[in-house]
Amino acid sequence: MSYALIVAEVRRGVFEERNLDAIGLCSLLDKESCLLIPEGAYDINDKLVNVVAKVDAEEMVFLNPLNMVSILDKVIEKRGKPDVIIFTHSSSGTECASYMAGRFDLPVITDVSGFDKEGGFFMKSYYSDKIFGQFRQAGDGTYVITVRSGSFKEFVVEKSVSAAVETISGITISEERNFIEYVEEETTEVDITKADFLLSVGRGIGNKDEIEDFMELADMLKAVLSGSRPVIDKMWLPKARQVGTSGKTVKPKVYLAMGISGAFQHIAGMKDSDCIIAVNKDPEAPIFQYAHFGVIADAMKLRDKMKVVLKG
Amino acid sequence: MNILVFTKRVPATQEEELRLLGDGNSVDLSKLPFKVNDWDNYSVEEAVRIVEKTGGAVTAISIGDAESDEVLRRAIAMGAKDGFLVDAGKVLHDPNARATVALNFLKKEGIAFDAIFTGVQSEDDQFASVGGILAGKLGLPYSTMVIGIDAFEPDHIIARRELEGGLQERIKVKVPCVLSIQSGINEPRYVSIMGVRKASKVERKVFKAAVYEEGVPSRIEVVKWVYPEKKGGAVMLAGELESVCKDLLGILKEKGVYQ
Ligand SMILES: Cc1cc2nc3c(=O)[nH]c(=O)nc-3n(C[C@H](O)[C@H](O)[C@H](O)COP(=O)(O)OP(=O)(O)OC[C@H]3O[C@@H](n4cnc5c(N)ncnc54)[C@H](O)[C@@H]3O)c2cc1C
Ligand SMILES: Nc1ncnc2c1ncn2[C@@H]1O[C@H](COP(=O)(O)O)[C@@H](O)[C@H]1O
Repeated sequence: MSYALIVAEVRRGVFEERNLDAIGLCSLLDKESCLLIPEGAYDINDKLVNVVAKVDAEEMVFLNPLNMVSILDKVIEKRGKPDVIIFTHSSSGTECASYMAGRFDLPVITDVSGFDKEGGFFMKSYYSDKIFGQFRQAGDGTYVITVRSGSFKEFVVEKSVSAAVETISGITISEERNFIEYVEEETTEVDITKADFLLSVGRGIGNKDEIEDFMELADMLKAVLSGSRPVIDKMWLPKARQVGTSGKTVKPKVYLAMGISGAFQHIAGMKDSDCIIAVNKDPEAPIFQYAHFGVIADAMKLRDKMKVVLKG
Repeated sequence: MNILVFTKRVPATQEEELRLLGDGNSVDLSKLPFKVNDWDNYSVEEAVRIVEKTGGAVTAISIGDAESDEVLRRAIAMGAKDGFLVDAGKVLHDPNARATVALNFLKKEGIAFDAIFTGVQSEDDQFASVGGILAGKLGLPYSTMVIGIDAFEPDHIIARRELEGGLQERIKVKVPCVLSIQSGINEPRYVSIMGVRKASKVERKVFKAAVYEEGVPSRIEVVKWVYPEKKGGAVMLAGELESVCKDLLGILKEKGVYQ
């Protein structure tokens, strides 16, 4: 049977929205779709795929690459080999996708954000979106894809009938890697998701000593200071102020980004802001593609001039 | 603990204009500065910290050309005992190919380890896959996005891995294992030029990758390289910095976030 297997992501009972991108790619590929999902009641439109295969396992057992090997074995036993296995390009998606590629000896293309039907190739980001590679598998057989969130949702089509339901049971649970518990982020001083105006700084500000002056500008503008991941990794700002997939998703009226390049993990966390203003000294910075207004300038010079203008 | 750390030399592209060569046959990297892959810097540091506590040694491995020796010297300056260069002679974009070269190398040279660390992803290829594929091929337990190692026992590791939106999951992983380390897990130590120079005195072994290319698949192919599709794009504010600032304030007022 020719079909695409979509490995769904559910976290704490929620069917993650990025699964829709995997389903959307599946429509573009014109394949029968089989959604693999752990047992449970989720809020899903069951007309979006042809088959829902429910795995007799909890979500933390399901989203574990070692158990996924056994789950796939069972799926193949039951339905034959899929043409393609689609994961989301997320923490667990990339983990399982690469591990499956290694264990089952399959080609893998990750972070796919486009598909060209005529050429039969996938678009994959290189150098933080400054270049894209057109990739396809060499040879035949099953291949593995991870999909960038936000890329294919618009291609999801509702079918006329509800999905057939199948069950996958009798999987082997690995003893070699086990879930212990979920760990929540501590609640902290500021909530950047509540701010109307965020001044956000990135690696481009150079070093920690610059933070104080940006904080001062933020105060003068009545903005809240946030940052990209490297700024938080280097402990220039606390984790609670991180914008992006592994930080917070924000939607302020104005998002003023200074010295941020615009990697997709960052963009995903702020692209729905009403107004995005980007300041970067590189005219080719990908963030200018998402911004409403742009300034090609040195972030520190602009900051200092802004202060002078505000005081004047 | 004996930990193998994979470390890669990558071009620094953030502030550079990238140009395609031919009809998109390749990307011109000739004028770019190179550096250690950011994620690998964190994973070398993590490995060195563990070994400082548990004893054993860190071995840094890089697959690349002769220039990759630079990242090995850097790893040694941070505390790795050895540096192995697997000289590939050609660029391997396919993560399957890179993982297979690594696998064949480890097997043929009979290199023993308790754990293998990689970075979550390489800055240039961004596959986030080499660690997982290698683990899969070795049949070892794997985790990526490791943002904390709470315990490192002879037979298991307790680690925290990052999920999305600030959520983490704590897991127990059997040793030997492969872990891909996420940025921010630690604060990598500063490496001085003097330190790197001193590290040059430690001999690095060079292995010709051709020997390990047996069975190395080319499972995916690049049709060509292209520039990103231009989306709407921003309205660019140009002119004197002062007038740009005034324009910006005008926008902030119009959007109602500044009076
Ligand atoms: C699993 C995973 C999760 C991630 N989660 C997140 C996340 O939640 N949030 C996040 O932000 N990232 C995240 N990342 C990291 C992401 O991939 C990028 O590495 C990161 O967003 C880059 O941050 P940056 O733009 O500040 O730095 P860089 O990409 O280094 O960009 C710096 C920019 O500053 C510009 N610049 C330099 N000097 C100046 C100057 N003087 N004036 C003005 N501009 C200047 C440069 O031109 C460049 O564009 C994640 C990555 C992974 C793998
Ligand atoms: N050529 C290489 N040499 C050494 N390590 C590598 C190489 N390619 C990938 N890696 C390791 O694998 C990780 C993930 O790379 P990638 O799958 O390309 O995103 C990197 O952070 C490195 O630790």
